[in-house]
Amino acid sequence: MSEQTEAARGATDPDLKEDVVLRVEDLQKSFGALTATDHATFAVERGTITGLIGPNGAGKSTLFNLVSGFYEPDGGRVEVNGTDVTGLEPYEVADHGLIRTFQTPRKLEGMTVREAMLVGPREQPGESFLNLFFRPGTVGEREGANLEKAERILEEFEIDHLATQPATQISGGQMKLVELARAMLAEPELLLLDEPAAGVNPTLRNKLADQIRRLHEQGTTFLLIEHDMDFVMNLADPVIVLDQGHVLMEGPPKAVQTDQRVIDAYLGGNV
Amino acid sequence: MGVLSDPKGYWADLTRAERGVVASVVAFAVLLLAGLLTGALSPTYFLFLVGIAGMYALLSFGLNSQWGFSGLINFSVAAFFGIGAYGTALMSADSSPIAGGYLPIVGLFVALAVAGVLALAIGIPTLRLRADYLAIASLGLAEVVRLVVLNERQLTNGSAGVRGIPQFFEGWPVLATLPQQMPGLVVRPFPGTELVLETPFWGALLNVAVVVAFVGVSYGILRRAHRSPWGRVLRTIRADEDLARALGKNTYAFKMQSFVLGSLIMALAGVFYAHLNLFVSPGDLDPVTTFYVWVAVILGGSGSNRGALFGGVVIVTIREGTRFLSGLSEFVLDLGVVALQFDLSFISSNVAPLRFLLIGVLIVVLMRYRPQGMLPPQRELIWPSVVDDPPSKLESGVRGVKAGESDE
Repeated sequence: MSEQTEAARGATDPDLKEDVVLRVEDLQKSFGALTATDHATFAVERGTITGLIGPNGAGKSTLFNLVSGFYEPDGGRVEVNGTDVTGLEPYEVADHGLIRTFQTPRKLEGMTVREAMLVGPREQPGESFLNLFFRPGTVGEREGANLEKAERILEEFEIDHLATQPATQISGGQMKLVELARAMLAEPELLLLDEPAAGVNPTLRNKLADQIRRLHEQGTTFLLIEHDMDFVMNLADPVIVLDQGHVLMEGPPKAVQTDQRVIDAYLGGNV
Repeated sequence: MGVLSDPKGYWADLTRAERGVVASVVAFAVLLLAGLLTGALSPTYFLFLVGIAGMYALLSFGLNSQWGFSGLINFSVAAFFGIGAYGTALMSADSSPIAGGYLPIVGLFVALAVAGVLALAIGIPTLRLRADYLAIASLGLAEVVRLVVLNERQLTNGSAGVRGIPQFFEGWPVLATLPQQMPGLVVRPFPGTELVLETPFWGALLNVAVVVAFVGVSYGILRRAHRSPWGRVLRTIRADEDLARALGKNTYAFKMQSFVLGSLIMALAGVFYAHLNLFVSPGDLDPVTTFYVWVAVILGGSGSNRGALFGGVVIVTIREGTRFLSGLSEFVLDLGVVALQFDLSFISSNVAPLRFLLIGVLIVVLMRYRPQGMLPPQRELIWPSVVDDPPSKLESGVRGVKAGESDE
């Protein structure tokens, strides 16, 4: 047991990682008297699917919000691709290749699925008001290319039959798939998924895992929060365990599952 | 798929609500035409009404591009309208205490510039915050603008208002004197009715041409913007701003653009009004205008440009149509055997409250039976040249689904 712990500790050291896409150093955030993130330090290596687990209230979602720019940290640093993005706006963080999804699927009322997909691509010429009137050709060209790409990705996700359905009329699980597909249109280097499998039925959950694996093979790095242990242990390596706002340990799924500290944290006691 | 080239196909392609709207619009037009031809409605007054309707359509467009597109709650429609009206009035009128004497076209640009600056000034502090802050700030702004106009006499003439505003085409080569040069015509569509078309009529016609141009240009711009990736980001912000931020959109900049654009269109309505009425006073900045325009946008269907157009016209119909009621004093229903006589003087003496009642009832009925408005956006909004197959019509309309209804 102690050997395993040692090994895990070695892997925890973020400085030993070579090609780091996300580095979090000594990150702190508190809401009033509640310390949500307590000197968290970890790194995500390029080309991995890194899992982020921890008991309820461990501060996983807060950490996501801090990393993606939705919250401003009280202290510490966030680096994406070697650039300091601490305290930047979410859109600026996204410019550095980090895209996130949300725990509850966000509904785009009044849009069809493929329309909702088209929000994904970044730096569309048609997002400039003046281009609409002075360069309509360029706008149309890119829109066409984006639509094609969106339809291809929907096909790869096997949900192309939903393309012209209203985006609010599909099931929760399908929404999760659409959300993942849309995030891919933004061509992220690092994709943060907040509980991708929550509320998704088992069949669709397997499909989702397959998709994440496939995208991972195509070169996207993932950091995902997940409560479903089977899902995360099958998919992620390494797994980071968060407890009370700080990083408890990091290691391969097997080591994490058998670690006494992790078990204690989940059972809720410093026995 | 034009109405003229393929009327049957056009009709078949409409939803039930759209058919209802088309039918009532046609019926209303026939009614107006009948009124005109029988002499019940004076042609000059009719053209004035068309001008007012166009003005309301512009205001609705402006609000729609803020509330309908991005979900920005702006309660200072009347203020931006007033800025437009006073901007051009103070630049061009003889009685202007500050500038005066400039061409109306100069007034137009000055008014738009002032409105744009004011929109920026109110947007910079509030658009970074939650939606409700803009609502509160704009409510305050409307009062501030109104009170400044009322009290800064050395700038605005105060409660006396600004008189002597020229026609919009003042100083233009041909158009400036066109109404005077047109021959006076007398048309007799039926024996017994006589329509006199003289200088005031031609002047009013020219005004209508101005407003039609304003409305047309604004509609064209908004329609293109609505179907573009730009509009799509705005609609994403309206549905869920955090999602737009997570996907890397600078939502603050987008909201600012949408807010300024809407404010400019509202100011444009004000500019037109000043040159239509030739007199502006602080009373024109009455906050009730703001709420009329809100009703127009909600009635037409938030987010829909043609809905805003429709809503604007309906509001003018209610606003101006109720004026006719003041002439009513009694109504006699002659059933042959007995004649029932109704005393209607309570209506004629209460037209203003009645107008509010009508609008109130309209809103209640609308919210109960058609909360999405009469003409909500019905079809996919993708850049026109891209989707070659017109997207299959969505039976319920994309927007017409109650949230959560079909979840799981």
